[in-house]
Amino acid sequence: MTGRVLVAMSGGVDSSVAAALLVEQGFDVVGVTMRLFCYGDEVPDRPCCSLDSIADARRVCDRLGVPHYVLDMADRFGHDVVADFVSEYAAGRTPIPCVRCNTFTKFRDLVRRADAIDARWIATGHYARIVDGTLRRGVDPRKDQSYFLWGIDRAVVARMRLPIGTLTKAETRARARALGLESVADKAESQDICFVPDGDHVAVIARHLGPDAPALQPGPFVDRDGRALGRHDGYARFTVGQRRGLPGGSTRPRYVIAIRPADRAVVIGTRDELLGHGVVARAINWLTDPPAVGARLTVQVRHHAAAARAELVRVDADEIEVALDEPVAAITPGQSLVLYDGDRLLGGAVIESAGRMRSALPLYAEALST
Amino acid sequence: MPRPIYLDHAATTPTRAAVLEAMLPYFGPRFGNPSSVHRWGREARVALDDARARLAASLGATADEITFTSCGTEADNLAVLGAWHAAAETPRRTVVTTAIEHKAVLAAVHAVTTLGGRERVLGVDADGCVTIAAVDAALGDDVAIVSIMWVNNEIGTVQPVQALARIAADRGIPFHTDAIQAFGKLPIDARTQPFDLLSISGHKIGAPKGIGALYVRRGTRLAPLLHGGTQERGLRAGTENVALAVGLACAAELATAEMAAEASRLRALRDALERALATSIPDAVVHGAGAERAPHVLALSIPGADGESLLMALDLAGVACSAGSACQSGSAAPSHVLTALGVAWAGAAATLRLSLGTLTTDDDIRHVAAVLPALVAKARGVGAVA
Repeated sequence: MTGRVLVAMSGGVDSSVAAALLVEQGFDVVGVTMRLFCYGDEVPDRPCCSLDSIADARRVCDRLGVPHYVLDMADRFGHDVVADFVSEYAAGRTPIPCVRCNTFTKFRDLVRRADAIDARWIATGHYARIVDGTLRRGVDPRKDQSYFLWGIDRAVVARMRLPIGTLTKAETRARARALGLESVADKAESQDICFVPDGDHVAVIARHLGPDAPALQPGPFVDRDGRALGRHDGYARFTVGQRRGLPGGSTRPRYVIAIRPADRAVVIGTRDELLGHGVVARAINWLTDPPAVGARLTVQVRHHAAAARAELVRVDADEIEVALDEPVAAITPGQSLVLYDGDRLLGGAVIESAGRMRSALPLYAEALST
Repeated sequence: MPRPIYLDHAATTPTRAAVLEAMLPYFGPRFGNPSSVHRWGREARVALDDARARLAASLGATADEITFTSCGTEADNLAVLGAWHAAAETPRRTVVTTAIEHKAVLAAVHAVTTLGGRERVLGVDADGCVTIAAVDAALGDDVAIVSIMWVNNEIGTVQPVQALARIAADRGIPFHTDAIQAFGKLPIDARTQPFDLLSISGHKIGAPKGIGALYVRRGTRLAPLLHGGTQERGLRAGTENVALAVGLACAAELATAEMAAEASRLRALRDALERALATSIPDAVVHGAGAERAPHVLALSIPGADGESLLMALDLAGVACSAGSACQSGSAAPSHVLTALGVAWAGAAATLRLSLGTLTTDDDIRHVAAVLPALVAKARGVGAVA
């Protein structure tokens, strides 16, 4: 089942090794690097338009003896990913642009390019696996990136190749060295969001919405009962679960428990107040036939969060709700609720709120209040 | 692997075998510096003088009117900025050009605005031609230099250089033409055509990259851009590149000798390809179709198709061409040439420049005409994102 495969190459070690493995497996590999954004003049020390990364990917392809192309996808990426990123922060939520990039850019727009060059397959350097046409977690639990892949059109999964999902990161680096790809084998891991230089997401928001945007204006810190606890300098600087940047003077650790754009309030509270017993999420995408209400699942509410046992309690056209067996901290609007059956990805959705639904355990909060 | 077909001669051409052979001694035993007094120097000087004379002859010029440069871009810069600087003590502070020039000219012209000068950039008609009336109106007594290309590098349209140069000459304004895509394709003769400055580039005509030349008519005042020794009569300091100068002269002689036959051969092939594509891709728009065009360029836009995907599919099918002029960052912004033509929809179309040359055969053209329509059809699906 070989044939032509379009490989999205960032110039990093993961996608480079992915391309190399596909060449080894006999695929007709075509490497592409997407130009997705331009820092512009604001970041003068960065190579604009990722030219360094493009050169790295081109060098790897040259070494592998396969063609390499640069595709300018900045317009659609700006619309589907960057604009959404900014508007989500403006709405007091914490977006995951990587999910939307996978959903719209890599596994939709790039698939159209694959069609135009008769490439049956599309491949990336994600740490996840395709087994029997289903998406699975990568074998390296520390690197597993399946959390970011829930939004892909189910029909595209059948065309995906994820060759490094069976490797650990250390194995990937070793393969890169063994393949003679020294130029990328020891590249530092990128932790930042690609279009957010130095992790400064506030600067990106300011550039798009202007420094006068409400999300960047001062507002109150309040507790759950509405008591004012101080002032902050813009709710876009905060996310649910955050401790940094909160006013002091409390004996117990305090966390952001909610962000309220209507009055620009950042609500803070205790660890207990951060816990949620359920999750309501929208824009559901199923990668398998939808499980029935009542199904037992594991869910993940954030990348690197432990998988939590849960029950599917409601499925509407676009919205689902799960009840968690044990409460989970920092269920954050804008992050993803991803549903698994073991290591198999069932689907996912964008978290709307921590559900009020409690699990089957005694509803002791209500019991206390009566 | 499909048979490779190279249809990007406007980007660059292979170094011809005879040119390579002519250059080889100067990479070997004849390595001398033309400014040296010893025998190595003399050998190099003779070779350089000979190359200059031969290149001059192919332009209808005299040897002292030829300045070797490192590339076509340098020749364009030397012409525009050199003439502007040379007029520094006069009220002539404006440079006139057109909106469809190569960036080597447009950027050089624009540079004078940072030095206290002015630019006057003339528009073109829908076929990519500047009108004689527009040039006539633009050439006031404030003009230091006018620069108008002979053949446009993206769409191949020919400007009425002879008539335009005549107007400039009548007003005592130096006239520069970028003839980088014209040389070897159209008759050029400094004895009968009144241009004052003319740029050519080696690698477009079968010489290597790294050599160009500027024709400077006797009496044309020019200030150097590179300061140093007195090479090239003080117009271009730096030790001369003897080997590449020899290569350029050799390539120019070949191109001139073959021009009549080669131009009609390429024109017939280009026109055949154009007719075939007009039938198989009926909505394709040929740029400059209503104007006089050089024989080797076919530029067309296909509405609704994705240009990057089409170029990729063509390359994978073994066909090399370009989307217009190449850009290092791969910018998808519509070309300044198409924008100047008023092709507002160019951003939503695939634009291809197919350029023919020495490598092009009848079979190549038949093959491209046969495979292109199916690749275009696939590239039309790419943009279908809501």
